Amino acid sequence: MMISQFFVLSQRGDNIVFRDYRAEVPKGSTETFFRKVKFWKEDGNAEAPPIFNVDGVNYFHVKVVGLYFVATTRVNVSPSLVLELLQRIARVIKDYLGVLNEDSFRKNFVLVYELLDEVIDFGYVQTTSTEVLKSYIFNEPIVVAPARLQPIDPAAIFTQGNKRMPGTAVTKSVVANDPGGRRREEIFVDIIEKISVTFSSSGYILTSEIDGTIQMKSYLSGNPEIRLALNEDLNIGRGGRSVYDYRSSSGSGVILDDCNFHESVRLDSFDSDRTLSLVPPDGEFPVMNYRMTQEFKPPFHVNTLIEEAGRLKAEVIIKIRAEFPSDIIANTITVQMPLPNYTSRASFELEPGAAGQRTDFKESSKMLEWNLKKASIVGGGEHTLRAKLTFSQEFHGNITKEAGPVSMTFTIPMYNVSKLQVKYLQIAKKSSSYNPYRWVRYVTQANSYVARI
Amino acid sequence: MSGHDSKYFSTTKKGEIPELKEELNSQYKDKRKDAVKKVIAAMTVGKDVSSLFTDVVNCMQTENLELKKLVYLYLINYAKSQPDLAILAVNTFVKDSQDPNPLIRALAVRTMGCIRVDKITEYLCDPLQKCLKDDDPYVRKTAAICVAKLFDINAELVEDRGFLEALKDLISDNNPMVVANAVAALAEIQENSTSPIFEINSTTLTKLLTALNECTEWGQVFILDALSRYKAADPREAENIVERVTPRLQHANCAVVLSAVKMILQQMELITSTDVIRNLCKKMAPPLVTLLSAEPEIQYVALRNINLIVQKRPTILAHEIKVFFCKYNDPIYVKMEKLEIMIKLASDRNIDQVLLEFKEYATEVDVDFVRKAVRAIGRCAIKLERAAERCISVLLELIKIKVNYVVQEAIIVIKDIFRRYPNTYESIIATLCESLDTLDEPEAKASMIWIIGEYAERIDNADELLESFLENFPEEPAQVQLQLLTATVKLFLKKPTEGPQQMIQVVLNNATVETDNPDLRDRAYIYWRLLSTDPEAAKDVVLAEKPVITDDSNQLDPSLLDELLANISTLSSVYHKPPEAFVTRLKTTVQKTEDEDYVEGSETGYPETSGNPVDGAASPAATTGYAPKPAAPVPDLLGDLMGSDNAAIVPVDEPTTPSGRPLPVVLPASKGQGLQISAQLTRQDGQVFYTMLLENNSQSLLDGFMIQFNKNSFGLAAVGPLQVPPLQPGASARTMLPMVLSQNMSAGPTSSVLQVAVKNNQQPVWYFEDKIVLHALFSEDGRMERGTFLETWRSLPDSNEVQKEFPGIIITSVESTLDLLAASNMFFIAKRKNGNQDVLYLSAKVPRGIPFLIELTAMVGQPGLKCAVKTPTPEIAPLFFEAVEILFKA
Repeated sequence: MMISQFFVLSQRGDNIVFRDYRAEVPKGSTETFFRKVKFWKEDGNAEAPPIFNVDGVNYFHVKVVGLYFVATTRVNVSPSLVLELLQRIARVIKDYLGVLNEDSFRKNFVLVYELLDEVIDFGYVQTTSTEVLKSYIFNEPIVVAPARLQPIDPAAIFTQGNKRMPGTAVTKSVVANDPGGRRREEIFVDIIEKISVTFSSSGYILTSEIDGTIQMKSYLSGNPEIRLALNEDLNIGRGGRSVYDYRSSSGSGVILDDCNFHESVRLDSFDSDRTLSLVPPDGEFPVMNYRMTQEFKPPFHVNTLIEEAGRLKAEVIIKIRAEFPSDIIANTITVQMPLPNYTSRASFELEPGAAGQRTDFKESSKMLEWNLKKASIVGGGEHTLRAKLTFSQEFHGNITKEAGPVSMTFTIPMYNVSKLQVKYLQIAKKSSSYNPYRWVRYVTQANSYVARI
Repeated sequence: MSGHDSKYFSTTKKGEIPELKEELNSQYKDKRKDAVKKVIAAMTVGKDVSSLFTDVVNCMQTENLELKKLVYLYLINYAKSQPDLAILAVNTFVKDSQDPNPLIRALAVRTMGCIRVDKITEYLCDPLQKCLKDDDPYVRKTAAICVAKLFDINAELVEDRGFLEALKDLISDNNPMVVANAVAALAEIQENSTSPIFEINSTTLTKLLTALNECTEWGQVFILDALSRYKAADPREAENIVERVTPRLQHANCAVVLSAVKMILQQMELITSTDVIRNLCKKMAPPLVTLLSAEPEIQYVALRNINLIVQKRPTILAHEIKVFFCKYNDPIYVKMEKLEIMIKLASDRNIDQVLLEFKEYATEVDVDFVRKAVRAIGRCAIKLERAAERCISVLLELIKIKVNYVVQEAIIVIKDIFRRYPNTYESIIATLCESLDTLDEPEAKASMIWIIGEYAERIDNADELLESFLENFPEEPAQVQLQLLTATVKLFLKKPTEGPQQMIQVVLNNATVETDNPDLRDRAYIYWRLLSTDPEAAKDVVLAEKPVITDDSNQLDPSLLDELLANISTLSSVYHKPPEAFVTRLKTTVQKTEDEDYVEGSETGYPETSGNPVDGAASPAATTGYAPKPAAPVPDLLGDLMGSDNAAIVPVDEPTTPSGRPLPVVLPASKGQGLQISAQLTRQDGQVFYTMLLENNSQSLLDGFMIQFNKNSFGLAAVGPLQVPPLQPGASARTMLPMVLSQNMSAGPTSSVLQVAVKNNQQPVWYFEDKIVLHALFSEDGRMERGTFLETWRSLPDSNEVQKEFPGIIITSVESTLDLLAASNMFFIAKRKNGNQDVLYLSAKVPRGIPFLIELTAMVGQPGLKCAVKTPTPEIAPLFFEAVEILFKA
């Protein structure tokens, strides 16, 4: 159950942090790891799996904002424990430093080592709770300028969209004070939903899934208790029904396939009135994770047509339609489509008056790319792209088999497809004048959003 | 604090060390703290700042915790290299361990435990004893882990000072964090000890199950894993345990969920009620699926585990196949695993959906993924008879897209489909033949040729098709040549006309005269003789009905599967290999005898990786069994490269013999085109075996394994054929091949060389050299009466006595030595003292009943072993000395 070493490497393989807990792995493990990850060819897979064994040493890694977080061990440990630990270490360090990048690491290496000594002892995880750690950590973070920060978490997406969102607030350290020396009393609750949809070539939905998280970050002093009320018609478990028989979404409320909760959450009244109570620890943490395969209305409809036009030419038409209300605006949207690999040229035609749109044909990867800037996609809107393709050779057989599928990435702030809601957020505190800022924010993001052609 | 830490990284122009030294001795606290930070910064980038040891230690006495921690960090790094100076720190450590501030007490104990210097360790015991009973839980939990640290340095001390008892008491501590650490420490100590230290009984079970509810997430994992070793007494207890553990499935931490799953699966084995089982399966499905919503890295672990779980309990996820459909943005390592599970879950009910997915994947960009998707279609066809036709039509559709590697992959799987459903789908052969010219991969070519030969009578122009391949016969890879040979013979037997007759002449000529591949030549000669003596018999042989192949998607051997399932949520379940195949953490206790009086001396604990080169070289071999050495008389460069003369390099996979020792690698994967063979002669129940582990690290299936031993000094030969199942890429198989002696004796001087040839259907023949380990040949009836021993000794001339000294071998106790030797059929006759040396006499019997008399002289605990043997066949003495070396280093 223990690890031997923990280290963080930059994208170039530089040692940023290195801590050996058990002196049982030979020197050079960082180089061995980096070489293996960079030149992973064993199975022809370009991307190394998160766990591998070299010369009797097991290497685990996760990538966070382009940095490798790595652990080594010689024993038969629980791999999910180690990988989860690596993610948590990244989160704890981010809680302390405010932002996570090479620069903030280097500026705070003493603090990072202090943290690592409390998080792991002799290779055993002790705690990854920012709250608990606060009692043992004495170094103060040196916060790097948020201007050049690279956000780690989905919460950062709020910074792009909406002026109302104090997006930078979530990138401040949980221990550092604001310049004024006073901490602002505030709490963030983010409902983040990543959706995966696969449309068949005829446009109907093959699979759809929502992976949701209620993420919390509290800057409240005195750790007051919080009550979070969710939809009253929330149901958990599909009662043994398989994914095949979708229940019609008529009025049966929000049905989650499965969910789990942070350890601080008490579920005493969850069964009766769907409220969660908790004393939020410091730092960012998921209050609840949930998964849903209940049918929902996909935010975008994609229509693709590819037609031959002579022996060496074809035309592609991609049409996207926003299926959400008109007061909602989607953020930067990218549509991608692999073209047949004998495509030599593609010329694009946007609809008249189209603004904030960009098209590109990536010659090397034969990829069509269509970017739509924010604000250009308002709920209910529809956009079309026409592309004329020129081939370097005659295509054989079925052209639709050699192009596609069309995939989309997007972010839609203040919108969630599951209809799961935080009805209210109650902060228990005696004083009537105490009224901290409460931010409840929704966002929907594409995970794997694919239309086959 | 002023400025940024990164400024400490900036180097000064000249004399960095003296400058730091000056700053460390500054009268200003802040300056000193800054200086220590600079030292640590230099340390982390790999600069040697050990010369500042005294100056840094001088900063240790401070109230400032921040500074104290930095000094401690420095000490952990450098105390080892400055053991004499480390003593300077002892006083402060001891003082700190009594500090009123619990953080300082804990810090002192934690740090002392990390310093592996005897002088520090000596002073650790008293503070540790106090800290284990400290009022503050933070101190107690730190002390609990410190016991494991001490055990690692000096196990004896832990037992003598009663730390184990104190640790066991902590299981009942009222603080769950302390309990979790005590459990973790005990589990580690148990792992490295043969005596029962931490056994879970029903009392500890209850305690731990209660603690489980209050523990931190990580503590829950420690506890669940410790409990997973517990075997419930009866179904009712199993049900009770499961009931207590099931709520953990709702945890947000994936490690907790998987550990809970492991525990439940284990207890399910005992539960008899089908209702309970069904209910549990239902409860486990959603959390398992939820793991696939985690980060891709965690998904990978979950998928590898699910792969095992569905093999054992297919019902759990039978209805969830959709969640295993690949997402567009899944990393390739996740996609590949999802495909495997989709095949396993494919059924008549969902096959249409599954095929639709596979078809889509087969047109994606990543070549490996595409190939795997095509293979998956084939595997479904073989698995589901009723869906075979649909699978084939999808394959044909794919062939029509004419993407070269898709076509080739499709042909390979279609060959398998033909073997599974003979005489059913020949109608598609015409379509396949259209792609003949584009085939350029050996496996695809060989498959196509096989199809042509097999159905030669139904293909009008089979002779022309084969002829087109024959032109390049000499240039083709062995795999293709073999198929061409057989296919031509089949063609000739089916259509004995002039054309095929000429072809067969050409092929046989090519395959007998023009080739130096013994397989091809041998097969050609057999055909030739068959055809020339009795063509009808040839028909019976060559055109005989072949056994129908079966679905191999559940390819794990049931016993291995059970072992892996017991290891759910460990690395073992990710690699799909038993732990002993890859865990190389050096253990000394494996060979430890049960003897109560056995003193665990300095050798307990792990050899330092940074030890001096000589020790370093010997110790891993001494602990993990002997590692591959270059085969004896013929120096083998590759063997040398692979060998473990370097302590740091331990083979990736160390397969083990039944006795727990890893098998030496005899054919490294680098040499065997991905096939790795580890093997050794072993003896079990009076029978000599060639114990082998074959690992297929290549990209393709390997089957048809055969083995041949060259003539050797003992006439060792295999009793029967090599029984190795077809190996999928990534799979491995272990086998014990029974051997006989005196079958094919070689002339010439006695030698330990054993030359082996292993072949399979896909690769060239591999030749490698192994070493005959003499002690595997000592027979069980080698015990001699004392009288007979003396008589035999005297009757043999002095010229039959051979001696050798082993300065590197240490006998730790007479008894354990005798046990060790007895295990290899060397029997104790007598013992005498010669000064402070012990002299042992033993007898053994080598093949053909030749007696072998042994005299060992050594001083217990001192290096140096003298070994004298007397035997009618002194020429085998060198082999015996090799055996001694192996046994004592093991």
